[in-house]
Amino acid sequence: MGAGGPPAFCSASKDDAVYYIDLAVTGISFGCMYAMMSVGLTLVYGLLRILHVAHAAVFALGAYATVLAANATGSIALGFVAALIVTPLFGMAIYRLLYEPLLNYRPDVPMIASVGLLVLMQDAFRIVFGEQGVTFRRNAFSFRTFDIAGVTISAVQIAIVITAAIVFLGLHLFTTRTRIGVGWRATVSKPRIAASFGIDPIKVRYLNFAIGSALAAVAGGLVALLNNLVDPTIGFVVSYKALAIIVLGGLGSVRGTLVASLVLGLVEAYGTIFIGAWLDRDAIAFLALIILLMIRPQGFTGAHTA
Amino acid sequence: MLTDRITPSALGTRALLGFATLILLGVAAATPAQADIKIGFQVPLTGPAATDGKSAQIAGEMAIEDINAAGGVLGQKLQLVTYDDQAKSDQAIFTANKLIGEDGVKLVVNGSYSASGRAAAPVFQKAGVVMIAAYGVHPDITRAGDYMFRLVHLGPPQGAATALYIGKMLGLKKISTITMDNDYGQATMDGFLEAAPKYGIEVLNKYSYSLKDRQFGSIVASVKRDNPDGVYATGYFFTGGPLVAQLRAAGITVPIVGSQAFDSEKFIEIAGPAAEGTYIIDSFDRDRKDEALQKFFNGFRERAGYAPEGVAAITYSAVKLMADGIKRANSAEPDKVRDALAATKDFPLLEGSMNGFNSLHEMIMPIHVNEIKDGKFKPAGEVGDLNAFAPPEK
Repeated sequence: MGAGGPPAFCSASKDDAVYYIDLAVTGISFGCMYAMMSVGLTLVYGLLRILHVAHAAVFALGAYATVLAANATGSIALGFVAALIVTPLFGMAIYRLLYEPLLNYRPDVPMIASVGLLVLMQDAFRIVFGEQGVTFRRNAFSFRTFDIAGVTISAVQIAIVITAAIVFLGLHLFTTRTRIGVGWRATVSKPRIAASFGIDPIKVRYLNFAIGSALAAVAGGLVALLNNLVDPTIGFVVSYKALAIIVLGGLGSVRGTLVASLVLGLVEAYGTIFIGAWLDRDAIAFLALIILLMIRPQGFTGAHTA
Repeated sequence: MLTDRITPSALGTRALLGFATLILLGVAAATPAQADIKIGFQVPLTGPAATDGKSAQIAGEMAIEDINAAGGVLGQKLQLVTYDDQAKSDQAIFTANKLIGEDGVKLVVNGSYSASGRAAAPVFQKAGVVMIAAYGVHPDITRAGDYMFRLVHLGPPQGAATALYIGKMLGLKKISTITMDNDYGQATMDGFLEAAPKYGIEVLNKYSYSLKDRQFGSIVASVKRDNPDGVYATGYFFTGGPLVAQLRAAGITVPIVGSQAFDSEKFIEIAGPAAEGTYIIDSFDRDRKDEALQKFFNGFRERAGYAPEGVAAITYSAVKLMADGIKRANSAEPDKVRDALAATKDFPLLEGSMNGFNSLHEMIMPIHVNEIKDGKFKPAGEVGDLNAFAPPEK
């Protein structure tokens, strides 16, 4: 996306304020979506040192499950329930069938297998559900918007932000207040010590894939609502962007990933207008990545996991 | 009886006659092609363009059946020789050579994308094979030579007609433009921007997006701030659908004008109630009181299970035009068919009557505009000033 000319900064009228808030709404809602998509990737990387590219296929599967189940039952909520059942199983199957047999190989081997799975899934979606994509049949929700003093916010944008807040708060409580959550966190940072305390690392891996996939599925379902369209390419753009985000966030760091996601969402929303005339929106993530790697190779938050 | 007794020589003669008859019958049965005129047909049946390819294939077959049911052409039946080109250049060249070398085809309908038509055109031109590109929009197709014909408006003329429609017919003067960042989107927008000043249109701001985009938050916010009289966007239905929905969601109520490739039932499905009041330029008039069109619509829906799009209609018309060219040439010789096609005048396409071809064999035809009303395509006028959007000449 791009603009012919950036609007003038000097005349700061009420319209300008509305404009910049509009852009912020876009940026924050996108940042939240990126965060839900990317955390699963970070979790897998932190635990197994695998770049889980096929996570984008999980995201797409979540979108398809949501729209298909919603159309079949007439309830968008049931669509999300279906996605939350299907994708964790799919995520765990990816671990069991694709990554586990390859864990003893160099890290690029499971990554290549992951790319292969993504391509396969994209074509499978195309063949099974059609090239033109699927839309929600009854979906007044997608089109509902609120006008708050001139600022437009859509119901889906609100849903994205609220969902992300609930999800990350829940994840925080889970990993700090529950035994299994603490064990999970321990396995990621100190696998040997965790094992000596009787935590089963294999169970943690399944848990990891189940939760990461569920998050991606929620993100996929919300993007499906936002676009009112699920087509085979839905996971494509987010796939490489999420890779950039987890590197920006310092590989393996959940907090870094959250920060990087929000920053990228905002930079894209404003960047589209101010530098979009000569730079594609989707390239902004990579420009940021290159700059950051030059000045701060450890990522935004500097969290070290390696 | 004597007559029943067959002498050895008579037996020989009879056997010989019988044998000869058998051979004759066999030859006749084995070479029905001698009585058929083959039409080569390239369509993308696999790969990302397969949706359009399937529509084109069904439409092409329907055209052949209709022609043959009406007695064929010059007393011969038409036969379609179909190849999947995957909408890719290499497959288009490969199948073009196959059509020429193995199938001996002299007349071709390319029911595929620009990448295919553009690659196949020089191959067919060199072999002296006539090709009609049903909906490939790249300028290089007709530039390959005089055996090439095109049945769809090029991007720049479509854009110029859009400027006329917006500035003169809708009377909108302040416009924000949104361009899809590929050949088709840019070429069409270039035509618009060039012609816009002629109709007193002021372009407030120009935005662009990539084919992968489905989220237009920043553009939408900017258009809202531009506060234009109207919005003109180029794109496909799968980008246009979300774009229009998001523009409307932001409270932008001014008319939105979309380019030809918005023309799909899927556009209305994606944009939902937000699609109302969107104008689509060079869109196909589905309501036209035309027996052939209504018959095609029903027949297609029955076979495909969905309503035909512009791609299906134009591919059907391309096969019909080829048959008409053969009839007018009174021969299936490519040189004669080419001359007959070049002289086409007022030929009834499913979309309406085309005036003919110009020197570069670009189609000359008024541009029809639809508006979405009550979730349906409804006619919203026609840009008939052919000089205002004349395609390039040789």
